[in-house]
Amino acid sequence: MTWELFAVFLGSSIRLATPLLLAGVGEMVSERAGVLNMSIEGMMLTAAFAAAVGSWATGNPMLGLLIGTIAVQPVALLQAVLSNTLRANQIVSGIGINILVLGATTLAYREIFGARSRAEIPGLTKVKPPLLGDIPVFGSAVFEQVWLFYAGIALIVATALVLRYTSIGIAIHAAGAEPKAVDKSGLSVTRIRYGCVLFAGFMASLAGAFLSIGDIHTFTEGMTRGAGYLAIASVIFGKWKIGGTVLACLLFGAATALQFQLPALGIAVPNALLIMLPYLLALLAVGGLVGRQLAPATLGEPYRR
Amino acid sequence: MTTLPPQPEAAANTAARTIATSGFAIRPALLVPVLAVGFAALIGLALIAVIGVSVPSAIAAFVDGTLGSPYAMAASINRSTVFALVGFGFILANRANLTNVGGEGQIAVGGIAATAVALYGHVGALPLGLSFILPMLAAVLAGALWGALAAVLKVKSGTNEVISTLLLSFVGVWLLYWCVQSPALLRKPMTSSATLPESLEIPDTTQLPLLTGDYSFPLHIGLPITIVIAVVVAVLLSKTVLGLRLRAVGLNPVASNRAGISYARTVIFALAMAGALGGLAGALMLLGEQYTLKDGFSSGYGFDGLVAGLLSRGSVTGVIAASLLFGFMRSGGINMEMVAAVPTALVVVIQGLIVITLAGATLFIERWERQ
Repeated sequence: MTWELFAVFLGSSIRLATPLLLAGVGEMVSERAGVLNMSIEGMMLTAAFAAAVGSWATGNPMLGLLIGTIAVQPVALLQAVLSNTLRANQIVSGIGINILVLGATTLAYREIFGARSRAEIPGLTKVKPPLLGDIPVFGSAVFEQVWLFYAGIALIVATALVLRYTSIGIAIHAAGAEPKAVDKSGLSVTRIRYGCVLFAGFMASLAGAFLSIGDIHTFTEGMTRGAGYLAIASVIFGKWKIGGTVLACLLFGAATALQFQLPALGIAVPNALLIMLPYLLALLAVGGLVGRQLAPATLGEPYRR
Repeated sequence: MTTLPPQPEAAANTAARTIATSGFAIRPALLVPVLAVGFAALIGLALIAVIGVSVPSAIAAFVDGTLGSPYAMAASINRSTVFALVGFGFILANRANLTNVGGEGQIAVGGIAATAVALYGHVGALPLGLSFILPMLAAVLAGALWGALAAVLKVKSGTNEVISTLLLSFVGVWLLYWCVQSPALLRKPMTSSATLPESLEIPDTTQLPLLTGDYSFPLHIGLPITIVIAVVVAVLLSKTVLGLRLRAVGLNPVASNRAGISYARTVIFALAMAGALGGLAGALMLLGEQYTLKDGFSSGYGFDGLVAGLLSRGSVTGVIAASLLFGFMRSGGINMEMVAAVPTALVVVIQGLIVITLAGATLFIERWERQ
């Protein structure tokens, strides 16, 4: 492999990992607080659709991104109400939301775009950071990314700092591990969990918008194709730690990037096997490498006072 | 070594367990699903009006696609049997507090196995119906393996079966894509560059016999097979030791393990059975209707079966009712798209609403039933 090809591989790994990173870190925060959102997939799809429509209608991808993030909040709120207030089974309600969103976005897409499918949609711009971008060979191939990627990195770092060094972080962790203690200390478990689900929704909305207006500048029906489930797998793979989750997402991104790289190198591997690879890796990851005792103690259990 | 789940998880999964409450629980358990379906259908009608299609003509198209002709009726019932089999598998596993969301992949591997044996297993000339029974058995086996894989992961390393069956679904669906894309696997020999990525048509003798022998009413033997399985599952769940074991493990894996019920074996049995029924569903689709293996032939069927299982709240009759509802809804939805220009995605919206409403109503059902 030449250095040029390797640089392209790194660059596309990062690009493909970005939506997983954003959604995965959001989901990790929510799972730390004890709420499992199977609906990450649906939240991403909602944002991918709303951002694409917003960007197409206004001609401004920034407005599209804003519309995408706003559109996801009701979906996240629905999940939060189901998971916390109505104490619904979190897996079942999440899958229900995914089915609803898949139907609703497909329906709305047909109604809005109809025959004009594959409409040109204005996308987010790419940036090349000053120093890193000037490295020969690697500079533009690796570091010239959609600005949302860099914004996402900043958000992830900020999230890590908040989780680690602030009382909010301790409260989130405790809400998942010892909700009764949180309750006794005078904080509201329900409120913390609502906040975390809405945060997961916000991160998933950035991820979804990245897919449609950041990466390929169009919307296709059901375009998330399981990325939300990969994000959940990355949380398990990452043992509910931010660093681990990020590494898992990068690994899944690299596995996806191989699809485009191996054929370019003239290595004949069946395309389907390569498309399958991230899911196989995720399966190995959740199946072999981590144990259950690492999960937050009350993950998936609604809190009852 | 087998890993037992810690106690709190068992205690806390009351929501999942209420889904699996047994038998002929009428009252709220019956009323709430009916209300949920009614509510979702009303929203569906409102959406039809919103997208500017005349509601009466949409309803007419829907009815025409379901009951309008013998063909439409038979096609709807055939479709319902597929949902029902996946739904039976779901409630069976759910009795042990396991949630199988891998129907999609299990149908896909079932279809692959059935096609492979029908085309290349030299079964075409076998007597006594073995020509189509063997492909079906292959599908059952493939589905069972697919389900058991998730079970082994759960038993060995405590992997949540929801995540593993979902991921296995994606793998299964891409495996199907691979099989029909690669001439080394099941793709028909490429005579020109325009040869479609699909398998050859399976021989006539391997196709499921039609009950009437008449293609204008193409109801095939999948229906009697499904009815027999419905009885077997109902008896197994309510009258046998095996059913009791499933329930015991579902309620308290630690206590049942101490009482001598193997957690590992029960989990593997439950998920393998769910997978086997999914595989059989794939065989019915392939051998009974499609006859050629195509990419995405199972698209959405696994999730419809899952929803049927959820709606039923654990009862076999509930699965049958929900499957018939969805079978006819899908047929009607397809006809609405063709005749009245209402996208079939509307049916998906309605299903999503049903699941969410039911999930959200669990708390009320529990309170109501306690009174």
